[in-house]
Amino acid sequence: MIKISLCLFLVSVPFFAIICSAFSEDRPTDRRVLVLLDDFAIKSSHSIFFKSLETRGFDLDFKLADDPKLALQRYGQYLYDAIVLFAPTIDRFGGSVDAASLLEFVDSGHDLILAADTSASDLIREIAVECGVDFDEDPTAMVIDHTNHAVSETEGHHTLIANDDFVNSEVILGSRKIEAPVLFKGIGHSINPSSSLVTKVLSASPAAYSANPKSKLSSPPTLIGSAISLVSVVQARNNARILISGSLTVFSDRFFRSGVQKAGSTTKHEKCGNEQFFVELSKWVFHERGHLKAVNVRHNKVGETDEPSMYRIKDDLEYSVEVYEWSGSSWEPYVAGDMQVQFYMMSPYVLKTLSSNEKGLYYTSFKIPDVYGVFQFKVEYQRLGYTALSLSKQIPVRPFRHNEYERFIPAALPYYGASFSMMSGFFVFTLVYLYTK
Amino acid sequence: MGKSATTSDVHALFHSLRSAYAATANHLKIIDLYIVFAIVTAVIQVAYMAIVGSFPFNSFLSGVLSCVGTAVLAVSLRIQVNKDNKEFKDLPPERAFADFVLCNLVLHLVIMNFLG
Repeated sequence: MIKISLCLFLVSVPFFAIICSAFSEDRPTDRRVLVLLDDFAIKSSHSIFFKSLETRGFDLDFKLADDPKLALQRYGQYLYDAIVLFAPTIDRFGGSVDAASLLEFVDSGHDLILAADTSASDLIREIAVECGVDFDEDPTAMVIDHTNHAVSETEGHHTLIANDDFVNSEVILGSRKIEAPVLFKGIGHSINPSSSLVTKVLSASPAAYSANPKSKLSSPPTLIGSAISLVSVVQARNNARILISGSLTVFSDRFFRSGVQKAGSTTKHEKCGNEQFFVELSKWVFHERGHLKAVNVRHNKVGETDEPSMYRIKDDLEYSVEVYEWSGSSWEPYVAGDMQVQFYMMSPYVLKTLSSNEKGLYYTSFKIPDVYGVFQFKVEYQRLGYTALSLSKQIPVRPFRHNEYERFIPAALPYYGASFSMMSGFFVFTLVYLYTK
Repeated sequence: MGKSATTSDVHALFHSLRSAYAATANHLKIIDLYIVFAIVTAVIQVAYMAIVGSFPFNSFLSGVLSCVGTAVLAVSLRIQVNKDNKEFKDLPPERAFADFVLCNLVLHLVIMNFLG
């Protein structure tokens, strides 16, 4: 009896350790990733991409998308931190998973990589629409580009595109420049251009359009030019990151290893930019880069160290905050020159750019305006590729007490002078009046 | 012709006023000078307020009140002390002066309080 319970205890200790190493606020990088596939051939045909994830420490769990034992959560806890959905033709998920539960998974702050392809099912399109991305409605359409396609012996319809129209962001695509163009063959999608949450990472060239390559064009295509996005990312307001790609073959080993030559150009690259592009992008999606946290918001009167519970108008105060960025393994100081703090009550009365000490501490000092009320220190920091920082700290500001006003008002000096001159005039007058004959 | 007549009339009027005024008693002239001083001070304060604005309004009122109040009290002293005034024939001028001093004391007390 004791032996069994001892064995159970010993077995459960590593179990607890595994639970503790999962996604947590202190370590925002995902750990357990569910990979849903159409069939297991994809596991071997995309092995370079999966191996790059595994070498970075992710636990990949490969399952068929219609596996009847599929489950995302058990007893209210999510079993995975992120999902890679490489099943473009799936019509119905197996087990307890469906479009709604997937979207709930993303809504709870987890990440998603979604790849559609030429035969994308309605289910995949529906999930993409809920994420903010509209695939072309025509099921036979592919992205065709007659000027920017890759030189190839097998492809005659110019659907294999070589594209280097990347988004200009070092956070999303890494600091090393991607020299070679990226090969793409699949469907295009459009995003809402006024949305600040969706970004086109790889957009099509102005000469591209989305149409069926095998039939003649009967009417002008709806998706044309740079409005077509080939790969987009969505960063939700709860900082969940979604990568949506219009092609599954861009992740394959065949594309990762192949060289590329753009039609009309003489440079032939030995290796196309796909591997670097998608590996760096997966680092961003899984929060290994660009994840900020702000700690230690402090404010105090100039010359003091403790935080008062109330300020007075025309006080001088100092404000400081520390911002760190997750580097994949540790929190590094985040250095930028454009973080601003507002002293806000219905509208910002003071707006100052915070100065940085290069070690992640941002500080500034200013004089409280001549208005009393309940103010907030607001820091709203939203930059492309970084998690949104939205800090707010409330502080009341009181007016002068009656003994805090100036004793003598300089503007009233003539009146003071006149009153005293009247008094002395009265005194002189009495003397003169009494002592003259 | 008419114009020179009116200007000479104005001159004549002025001269007669001056000569009549010269006939007043000395102590009344001292009071008049005091009144003029008070009014001029009041006018200066009003001009200052018109330029700068009425920010410490209580100080402005206090300063102007001190000048106007002084002028009023001085005028009442002059009325009571003037021997040609039939109404105050029986009032001793010392009594009038004592009243003047007392009222001025109260006035300046009020002014100092309201000056801020």
